[in-house]
Amino acid sequence: MSNLSDREFFALAVLLYGVCSIYSIFLWRNGFRRDNRIVYLFLLAGAGLHTIAMAKRGFSFARCPVTNLYEATAFTAWAIVALYLGLGLIRRLRFLGAFASPLLFGLGVFALMPKLDIHGPQPQFTHGLSSLHASLTLLAYGAFGLGAVAALMYLLQARDLKLRKIRAIHAHLPPIERLEHVAAWLLACGLLLLSTGLLLGIAWLKREKGVYLQADPKILWSGFVWCLYFGLLILRGWYGQGGRRFAWGTVVCFGFVLMTFWGFNLLSDIHNP
Amino acid sequence: MSVVLVGISHRTSPVEIRERLAYADAAIPDALRCLRAARLADEAVIVSTCNRVEVYGGVNDDPGAALDRLRQFLIESRGIDPSLSAGLYGLSEPQSLEHLFRVVAGLESMVLGETEVLGQVKRAYDLALRHHHTGRQLNRAFQRAFNVAKQIRTETRIQRGNISVASVAVDLAERIFSSLSERSVLVIGAGDTSEKTARALLSRGAREVMVTNRSHDRALALASALGGRALPFTDWSAAFPDVDIIVSSTSAPHCILDRARLSPLLDRRDRSPLLLIDIAVPRDIDPDVLLLEDVYLYNIDDLQSIAAEALRLRQEELGRCEAIIREKVQTLTSPSKPAQDTGHELAFGSNA
Repeated sequence: MSNLSDREFFALAVLLYGVCSIYSIFLWRNGFRRDNRIVYLFLLAGAGLHTIAMAKRGFSFARCPVTNLYEATAFTAWAIVALYLGLGLIRRLRFLGAFASPLLFGLGVFALMPKLDIHGPQPQFTHGLSSLHASLTLLAYGAFGLGAVAALMYLLQARDLKLRKIRAIHAHLPPIERLEHVAAWLLACGLLLLSTGLLLGIAWLKREKGVYLQADPKILWSGFVWCLYFGLLILRGWYGQGGRRFAWGTVVCFGFVLMTFWGFNLLSDIHNP
Repeated sequence: MSVVLVGISHRTSPVEIRERLAYADAAIPDALRCLRAARLADEAVIVSTCNRVEVYGGVNDDPGAALDRLRQFLIESRGIDPSLSAGLYGLSEPQSLEHLFRVVAGLESMVLGETEVLGQVKRAYDLALRHHHTGRQLNRAFQRAFNVAKQIRTETRIQRGNISVASVAVDLAERIFSSLSERSVLVIGAGDTSEKTARALLSRGAREVMVTNRSHDRALALASALGGRALPFTDWSAAFPDVDIIVSSTSAPHCILDRARLSPLLDRRDRSPLLLIDIAVPRDIDPDVLLLEDVYLYNIDDLQSIAAEALRLRQEELGRCEAIIREKVQTLTSPSKPAQDTGHELAFGSNA
């Protein structure tokens, strides 16, 4: 087992996420009535392998492994699973894992595409400040991802309650109010991490290029994403736009992040040297 | 030595007969003392609840004879006409143990899987134990029964879901709100079911209950009984911004709350969810309110269908519960009497 490479460890973790996704389908068909500990255990095992994979690569060049798209994606997935394992200690929130596992599996399969890790374990960004910037922003996307998972659960549960489905009562899902709070809390944490990450990015840019900002597609995209999440939280907190609208907003914003992150990364000269 | 029982339950007799056989808690120690003094049984426990009166005995002699003695004791001590005792049943091992385990697990209850009976049997056993009317046989049987009840509760889903309208309403509230402790309930119409629902919500921690009714006196009476406050029927909407759950059960022939009336009221609240429980027939709340954001409406049919589904799920679990009970009865009876124990089941009138 110790002879496996970091990518092989990661592939095993993704395999477990996939198995957990399949088990989650059975849970869903069963109306989320079964015990949710199995989901937690699958993801705990997956997270263990995932952590080994990241640690192996990190130790191989003594730096946080966020230096290319493979590592960035793997780090985002790791942030999601780590946050879930923390939240999953609360029994009623454990079913978040059933919703998170397909996302983790999807991110994992994407990360394993060979062209994303073309340089192997070689750092493409070597500066400590840039590593910290990358780590914090990816952790932020992890928090946004798990927030979207909580919001998706909210939408499913709220829909079942609206349509008076019996599943709404018999499912072991948390109350919708708590799901909304969890989603909002994750978004707030994510926004804080993103803000810090972006500020570090600005500091790095000033040090390396002598400017605070640059008309780089990824920088513009990051600013736009920050505005999206900031707007969502302001609308909920100050204008009472919570509930379903907030949940949809959270899911759509993360969908946007998922679909555009890699594209803008490739367009960016700074992030894709 | 074996365990026998004679009793009557809601399955075999109407309440008019059960109430005549029932023992007040204070009378049980005396009854147990008489029973043992007359050497009708060596050990005894009397379980007397609203749904059953059962005398459990630990006897050394022939179980059939012991059952006759206990039946006679029950009839004479309660002073009822023997012709009314048709619903009495008598069981000896292993059926008596199986019956005890079923009772304690709630499988013999009117509400399948309910847990209240466990506490009642525990109290009955404790009373007999404190007065030294139990011995090795009944101690083993009752303690094993309590363990089996616990095992059934943890290993099966016999207690899953709620099967009364009031409890289903509480379940719904708990699916929507993180905690009921900050929630206010408005009861419109002072009916029996709405009272039960409000009580159930209060028992789960609801912060406040308000009652409004066409007859303000009835609203006052119910509010006082619930520890809440009464509101004038013409002006209950003034309290609306603070209300999270509405339980409506008026006898109005038309809807008292529709989308046009509710929509402006919602604007006066923050955007927290609103749960509407409409248990009136004809309905008090227009189903169109469901189109409003953050509003959840359940009528009596919805609640009853959820309760029926929960009951169906509990019934599906019966087989698993019975398998556990059979296994435990076997382990309890087999070491001492593996072969000769065929058991007596005496239906004095009808069967248990």
